[in-house]
Parts: sequence; structure tokens; C-alpha cells
Amino acid sequence: MIGITPSLSRTSAGLLALVVLLVALWLGAAIGETAIPMGVVAKTVANRLWDAGYGLDALDEGIIWNYRVSRAIVAACCGSALALSGVVLQSLLRNPLADPYILGISAGASTGAVAVAVLGIGAGLLTLPVGAFVGALLAFGLVSLLAMRAGRGHGAIILAGVAGSQLFNALTSFIVTKAANAEQARAIMFWLLGNLSGVRWPDVWVAVPVAAVGLIVCLWHARALDAFTFGSESAASLGIPVRRVYGVLIGVTAMMTAAMVSMVGSIGFVGLVIPHVSRMIVGVRHGLLLPGSALIGAVFMIAADIVSRIIIPGQVLPIGVVTALVGAPAFAVILSQRRTVR
Amino acid sequence: MKSIFAKSHRGIACAAAVLLAAIGVEAQAAETSYPLTLTNCGHQVIFQKAPDRAVSIGQSSTEILYLLGLQDRMVGTAVWIGPVINGYEEANAKVERLADNDPSFESVVARKPDLVTAQFQWHVGPEGIVARPEQFEELGVPVYTSPADCVGKDNSGGGDGVRHTVFTMDLIYQEITELVQIFNVQERGEKLVAELKAREEAAKKKIASADGRLSAVFWFSSAELDIDPYVAGKNGAPGYIMRSLGIRNVVDSEEEWPTVGWETIAKSGPTLVVAGKMERRRFPADDIAVKHKFLESDPVTSLMPAVKEGHVVEMDAQAMNPTIRTIEGIEVLADAVEKSGLNK
Repeated sequence: MIGITPSLSRTSAGLLALVVLLVALWLGAAIGETAIPMGVVAKTVANRLWDAGYGLDALDEGIIWNYRVSRAIVAACCGSALALSGVVLQSLLRNPLADPYILGISAGASTGAVAVAVLGIGAGLLTLPVGAFVGALLAFGLVSLLAMRAGRGHGAIILAGVAGSQLFNALTSFIVTKAANAEQARAIMFWLLGNLSGVRWPDVWVAVPVAAVGLIVCLWHARALDAFTFGSESAASLGIPVRRVYGVLIGVTAMMTAAMVSMVGSIGFVGLVIPHVSRMIVGVRHGLLLPGSALIGAVFMIAADIVSRIIIPGQVLPIGVVTALVGAPAFAVILSQRRTVR
Repeated sequence: MKSIFAKSHRGIACAAAVLLAAIGVEAQAAETSYPLTLTNCGHQVIFQKAPDRAVSIGQSSTEILYLLGLQDRMVGTAVWIGPVINGYEEANAKVERLADNDPSFESVVARKPDLVTAQFQWHVGPEGIVARPEQFEELGVPVYTSPADCVGKDNSGGGDGVRHTVFTMDLIYQEITELVQIFNVQERGEKLVAELKAREEAAKKKIASADGRLSAVFWFSSAELDIDPYVAGKNGAPGYIMRSLGIRNVVDSEEEWPTVGWETIAKSGPTLVVAGKMERRRFPADDIAVKHKFLESDPVTSLMPAVKEGHVVEMDAQAMNPTIRTIEGIEVLADAVEKSGLNK
């Protein structure tokens, strides 16, 4: 089926995507709370990767490499992973409103983190991110169990997810109301709305493999996802092992979301909206939609993080506020323009 | 001659009148006449008599009452950040602790207090989590809130509030003066204020030679270790400590404890890092040892001159809040600067 021209255009599209991603990463490293000359970024990267030996201010180099480059990479991975999760869930559940939130994964992560931060569960052993990860997996397990008990219709897991989200959100509120004081409440709010300021290189070594494996597994199932768009029965009739694919994809989605949420907090909007934006740009075929969403999610998240760092001088705004405040109106504009075109 | 004489007589008479008036004022200040009406945090508070059963919510409020020798008239305390001020362990042991953190409204009322003192409005205030002052007043219990938490400070946004007017020890002295009026123990208050002022002056003199050359950042804690830390804004107690010693705060925010990125802090290159020492273990960075380890091992903070040259000063967190302990903060920082030779 694939002729010479499409494969060529696929190569150039891939190259273009790579360039866009690199530019976004470079901007992510160059723009920050404090002013560091743009050229320092390239020199820092050259120093660190190829021992280029540029004489740079040690503090500038340290900030660029240890804080900003690692932060931009993790932001990109988070954006990709959340967007991919959104694409997969929207396809599998045949619901345009599905995203990691609907499975209660983010709510569970929040509860886990809050339990560690406020109640001191596992004090000393469990850190906030570990608490979030455990909470996310617990919530996902519970929601899946509930969905299985309720039957296998694709509506079941959405309803189970709504119930799970409500339950875990209530638990979070309960813990915060009962035990938190002003300082804790603020720390938790920051965490619930997402924050990338704590990101360092060790996070990169988790985020990159998780996002890469997620992308590969999803791409591997691109054809199956296309088939699922017409319902699981149609997919089965096309010879797709429905239950296995379902399990693998839901599992990989849960893993990606839990890992990312545990690292940077729960960031809304990306998983829900980026897939829709991507569909408008690259169409509905998953072979393109998946990498397209991953790229757009990555670029969007890096941009949102830049905005979060510079919008209030000397202070950082939670990135979840930026994704929603900037992203939602942007999405509304795209949506209404698309309407007028049609 | 006569006229000159007459003039000087008039002068003496005037002086005598002023002196008498002063003694009169003094005499009035020495005795409180009840009912006493005070304006406190925008509220009129009326006291029919000197309180016998006070509950204090907030460690600083409690410690001021101890320093005034009023422990016998206290029936409860709450909200403790660290150990009680030195020398008052025994007094403190006799006063019932309703809660280490926030007490419930009913637990306070159950002590049948005739005065509730509050250090923070987020405990007792318009949005207070223990109660609003009106709730106590409905039961006939007057509420006195530390002026340090409401004068020139906006607590409506939740969190630690925003301080538009610079905190000074005068607010603590005001609290002492008003409490001695309420309890009718004026002579103790005058002595305490004089002592505190003398300590402040002595500390300032110690490092007067460093005036204007040093800068600092006050690190209270962090929600997570790597994440943006809570550091002192310019108008709170640390702002006062720094200003009184002629040290510049590298953080320029009106918020009481804003979160500021390490990148911004490192680039601003403070001469000193003042790290909060506290007993609570809510966040990993509450531990002073963890703070030291982070500063020395983080690839960016370890490059800061203050860290490389070992100018990380430990300070009790209570001294970093607008409390009676703020004075200790001034002493600790002055001592540290003198010891390190940075004032030379």
C-alpha cells in the first residue's frame, strides 16, 4: 500500500517533528525565571555531551543543565504520555471525553500523595511521588474491578471511573480538611495542580523510558486502535484479540499516567484535549494520530511550563493552571474555527 | 530682673505641670480601669475584668503570657511548633495542651475561658479554622489576636497571608503592652519590653561594621526536597531581622513565605543562607540535616558562594515567624556573622 511518495513524506514529517521537538526543548532550556543568554544553552549541551570546553559561568551552566534541560525533557515526556493515554482511552472507550482522569488514576494519585504528605503514612520510607504512584495503581485496580463486575460494556468502565474519581477526590478533601494547615494545604494545592520545579535528571531516566515504551506499545497497536473505533465487536471480527489488546493498552495507559502524575503532579486538560487537536491536524488514523498527539502534547507541555515560570516574576505558577487557562481558550478557538470551515 | 524671675517661675510652674501630668498618665497606665475597651485587628474588644482563665492558641501568644508571669491564669494552650522558651518548661507543663496543632472550637470552649488569645488569624479570624471571633464573643469570651498577624497584613487569600506593611518588633511590643493592660500587670510589661529592646541593640552593635555589605535568604522548608522552597518575603519577621542588621534580603516579595525557585535564589547569590531548624517533620526538608545535605549535594545550590564558603546559618523556625522569638533571630544571625568574620 505504501508508495514511494507517502514514505518520503513520512520521513520528512518525522524530520520536521524532530526539529520542532528540539526547538521546543531548546526554548524550554533557554527561557526561565532568571535571564541567561540564549547561546549558553548550546554551549552547555556541548560541554556536557561532548566535553567542548567552553568557559561558562558555573552557576549558569548548572542551572541550564541540571534544572532546565532535565525539566524540559520531563515536560515533553509528560505531555506525550498524557496525550497518548487520552488517544488510547478515547478510542477504546469510544468516548470523546475519556482521558486518564476518567479512570480515576489522577484522583487516586492525588489521594496517595496527600496521604503521605498530610497523614505521614509510611513516613520516611514513602515520598510524595511514591505515594502518588501507589494511589494511582490502587485507584486503577479498584475501578477496573468495579467495571468488570458491572459487565463489559464500554460504558461500564467510564461509570466506574466516575465513581472512583469521586471516591478518591472525596478522600483527598477529607484528609486535607481534617488534617492540613495553611502551609500543607498550599503544598498540596501546588502538587494537585502540577509542578515541574522539583524535576532533576533521575526523573528523566524514568520519564523517557516510560514515554518511549508507551509510544512503542501504542504504535504497535495502531491498527487495532483503528478497528476499536468501530466498536469491540467489529474489532473482534477483524481478528483482533480484543481482551488481550484491551488489557495491554489500558495497562500501559495506567502505567504512563501513574508514573507521570507521581513525578509532576496531576495536570489536567492535556489528556483530554490534545488528542482532539491532533485529530484536527493529522486526521483520525492512529498510525499518524499517535505520534502526532505525542509531539503536540510534548510541545504544549514545554510551552505551558515556560509560561508557568515567567508569568509571575520571581514566582512559579502551577502548570495545571497554565494548561487550563491558556489551553482551554486556545482549544475553544480551534474548535470554533473548525466549525466555521465546515 | 523681676520679669526674668517671673518668667523662670512660669517655666518652673510649666515644667511642674508637665511632670505632674506625666505622673498622672503614668499612674493611669499603671492601673487598668475596667471595663477596658481595646481595638484589636479591627474589632472592639471589651474586658469587664482581668482574665483568670485564658486559653492561648499559638505558641508565641502563650510564651508572651509566660514571660509576663501569667501562667497561673492560663487554662489551655494549642498550636506548638517547637519546645517552649528556655526556663518555662515547668510553667508550660502545668498548662493543659488542648492540641499540638489546631484545637477544635468546643475543646477551647470546654475550658470555660474568659479570654482567648490567638497568634494567627487562620486559627481565629474571619476564615478561622478554630472559629470566628464572633463565635467566641457570642458566648461572652473576648478574643485578642496578635497585632503582628493583622496590622498591615492581608489574610483573606488563605495560606500565610500577604504583608503590605513591614513587620517590626513594635508589633510584638504592642502585643505585650496590650496584654499587660488586659491583665493589669503593667510593671512586668515595661520590664520585658526594656529587656527585649536592650538585647536588640546589643546584637545590632555586634556587627554594625558589616552594614550594607551582606545579603541573605531565609529558607523555612519545602513541600518536597527538590521543589521550590518556602523562603521569607521582604516584609515578615526575617525581613525585620535582616533590616535591623543591615543585611539585604535577596527575595523581594510581599508574601509572607513565597515559593521561589532555587534557580532564582542561586543567581541572586546571597552571602548567607539562613536555614530553619524545627521539631516538626511534616516535609523532608523540615529536618535541618536534610537541608544541609541538599544545599551541599544539589548540583546548582552547591555552587552558591554561601554554601561553598560554609555560610549556612541554622535558626529556630520560631524566630523566623513574627513572634517574641524574633529577637533571638537577630541575636543568632548577628553572632553567626561575627563568628564567620563576614563583618570585617
